[in-house]
Amino acid sequence: MKSFAADRARRTGQADEWLAGLLGAEAGVALVAVGGYGRKELLPKSDLDVMLLHGGRDDITSIADRIWYPVWDSGVELDHAVRTVPQARRVARGDLKVALGLLSARHVAGDPDLTQRLRAGALEDWRSDAPARLAELHAAHDERAKVIGELAFLLEPDLKEARGGLRDVHAIQAVAAAWVGPAPGPRVRTAYEQILDVRHALHEVTGRRLDRLVLEEHDEVARALGLLDGDVLVRILAGAARTVAYAADHAFREAARLRSRRPRRGRPADRSPLADGVVEQDDEVVLARAADPARDPALVLRAAAAAAQAGLPLAPRTLARLTQCPPLPVPWPAPARDALLALLGAGPAAIGVWEALDTEGLVAALLPDWERVRNRPQRNPLHKFTVDRHLAETAAHAAALTREVARPDLLLLAALLHDIGKGWPGDHSITGEIVARDAARRMGLPDPDVELVASAVRHHLLLPMVATRRDLDDPVTVTQVACVVRSRALLELLHALAIADGQATGPAAWNDWKATLVADLVRRVGAVLAGEPTPEPRALRPDQLALAAGGGPAATVRGSEVTVVAPDRPDLLWRAAGVLASHRLTVRSANATSVGSTAVTVFDVEPEFGDPPDATLVAGDLRRMLQGHLDVQERLDRRARAVKPRAAATVPAPRVSLVDGASQTATVVEVRAHDAPGLLWRVGRALGECGLDVRAARVETLGAEVVDVFYVTDSAGQPLVGQQLRGHTVTAVLQALRPDPATADDR
Amino acid sequence: MKLITAVIKPFKLDDVKAALQAFGVRGLTVTEASGYGRQRGHTEVYRGAEYQVDLVPKVRVEVLCEDEDADDLIEVVVKAAQTGRIGDGKVWSVPVETVARVRTGERGPGAI
Repeated sequence: MKSFAADRARRTGQADEWLAGLLGAEAGVALVAVGGYGRKELLPKSDLDVMLLHGGRDDITSIADRIWYPVWDSGVELDHAVRTVPQARRVARGDLKVALGLLSARHVAGDPDLTQRLRAGALEDWRSDAPARLAELHAAHDERAKVIGELAFLLEPDLKEARGGLRDVHAIQAVAAAWVGPAPGPRVRTAYEQILDVRHALHEVTGRRLDRLVLEEHDEVARALGLLDGDVLVRILAGAARTVAYAADHAFREAARLRSRRPRRGRPADRSPLADGVVEQDDEVVLARAADPARDPALVLRAAAAAAQAGLPLAPRTLARLTQCPPLPVPWPAPARDALLALLGAGPAAIGVWEALDTEGLVAALLPDWERVRNRPQRNPLHKFTVDRHLAETAAHAAALTREVARPDLLLLAALLHDIGKGWPGDHSITGEIVARDAARRMGLPDPDVELVASAVRHHLLLPMVATRRDLDDPVTVTQVACVVRSRALLELLHALAIADGQATGPAAWNDWKATLVADLVRRVGAVLAGEPTPEPRALRPDQLALAAGGGPAATVRGSEVTVVAPDRPDLLWRAAGVLASHRLTVRSANATSVGSTAVTVFDVEPEFGDPPDATLVAGDLRRMLQGHLDVQERLDRRARAVKPRAAATVPAPRVSLVDGASQTATVVEVRAHDAPGLLWRVGRALGECGLDVRAARVETLGAEVVDVFYVTDSAGQPLVGQQLRGHTVTAVLQALRPDPATADDR
Repeated sequence: MKLITAVIKPFKLDDVKAALQAFGVRGLTVTEASGYGRQRGHTEVYRGAEYQVDLVPKVRVEVLCEDEDADDLIEVVVKAAQTGRIGDGKVWSVPVETVARVRTGERGPGAI
């Protein structure tokens, strides 16, 4: 890429010479360049940012006139001020922008001592006010990032103001000037020069002082820089912006440490566990001392999921250590898949974590095809983001729709993969299907799920396309879509995917108008398709049947499998789940059923973090519970008090529905919610308090989301009919799913 | 000059566009719109248990033309957008005082 650095230096030199000539030989005054001019970065259309510094001369106005008027007459934009050193320092202390400008103050002409006094004074003020000024700087950065967006991912970015843009480098320099963080390193300086060169070329090409690189100018700016085309330009910019944004985040974290006045060393670190091998420390996610990246391939995803779910960033040194993780075996083990889903399911909080992983090349290690869409621009006026960011954004929007579908896990994966085909030539839905199928297989999904994900990617444009362009009143339209979609599960996925995709594309791509049409189509197609059978409890294995034949009460713990058997007990499932929760075991899936008059529940559990608890203790507690010697509630309360409450990722509200016609002898209660410790216990107890018997159940944890199905009957053993009881049941379960009010108050 | 405005069913947009192009129309403006006519939005939608829509999604197409073409153009749009069912939409024309092409500053019929 062509560099315009020499041109900028030449322009600066000419301006210096001109201004020095205008000032002439004067004692007790100095001309000082500030801002971009102070940094010797005069672009073709930059304004001259100049301060006339004086030691208190009465005739300073006439000197100023002698300089400003010729500059104005020449047509050059001038940003000017006439001040004494104390005046300049006072103004800077009250105005962040002025203070930042003074940090790059440079002597142009006149008395060098004056300039030196200004520079030293401005730096001294900056350092002494650092905690407050850096907080102000950080707030301004966050506000810009929110309003203007990110340079790396916007298709029409603001080179100066966007996150990862020029202003972020000035911020890093300002943090360094306060002796709080490191000065920009060589990578950041190179990135800065690249962005500056693009802005330089934009000024050259348009002949105007523009900072926003609109699509129309991409190709011409690229040519001015000696690049092949706009796509190459966007990729270079994205790479540079990521480097800058990453360094800026680091600088601001250092600044935040200064504010909280926590010394970095010599203080026992406050660490609290988040997941196995992952802890929180100083509002960052770091690895536990016992964690061993070299032997733990799933650690990358586990740490990322924990960070996203807790809404915290991964510490830079942790990211660096995670690159030592060996590649995941193919197919992925289930915990790795669950961690990916928990990461994606965290919604907007996942985006920052995902980008952090990507910066270290960890995403490409998980999904080899990611490299092909990374920083890839899109030539489409509807799109706001590059392909990779659009995928991450779609997954984040999909996380808000996880209650709308029976398979939130497949929705999140399809959202992440739906445009992955854009890395290949041809129709991206067709190439995407192939890539998605391959990726889903690598992740170790069972075949039917692989096919659902692949079909969702293949047909992700079907619903919006048909809804806006075909006659929905025509039965043929509806039948054709039904023939392609074939199942309600896929229809649900496609509907949620269309919404998430549209929302992530940009404001022009999704609105009420389109949403109404798509929803109408989905309703019509849904009426044609048969319903999916509700998942039923799985059949028991011979060894489990043998245990059941004994009649119980009995409890065995074998690895991650816990089997509990007791004489007919409708409350067995949730009471046992409570015992497991009290041993900080998370229930990944549960299967409750009856054999004759014996109730059998099989759990698949994993420890929340750390080593699994002693199996003998767990089995012992389960047996005490069965004999009625254990107060499970008291146990759980005690544990809740010991756990530090934490602000969690924003998740969609839980959904509870009664499904009719799924069973003739019972009513099916379906619960979709975000996973939480003791969830099964709370839901089961709520059902019990409604006077209902849980006859059978199937509980699935998909990433961080749970989809639970309970077969319940009333006290007379009949399905639920009364409207009052049905309504009450739904309300009671929803109530039970609310975060514990006692813990909520502590937040 | 006249401004022809048509409010039609969304899926008919492609047909209407093709018909207008065949007629020789060089430019048009399309807006996503919602509304209802005599049918009040109820008869053409599927009514599920909790679903009721008052405003039906439509597309609004606007075309500028010379006075003598207006009647023919309305005819072309009506033919292309017709399904014969309720909710097919409306087409109307209004007189236009002046038209200017932004790029060249051209005025009058030449700017259409």
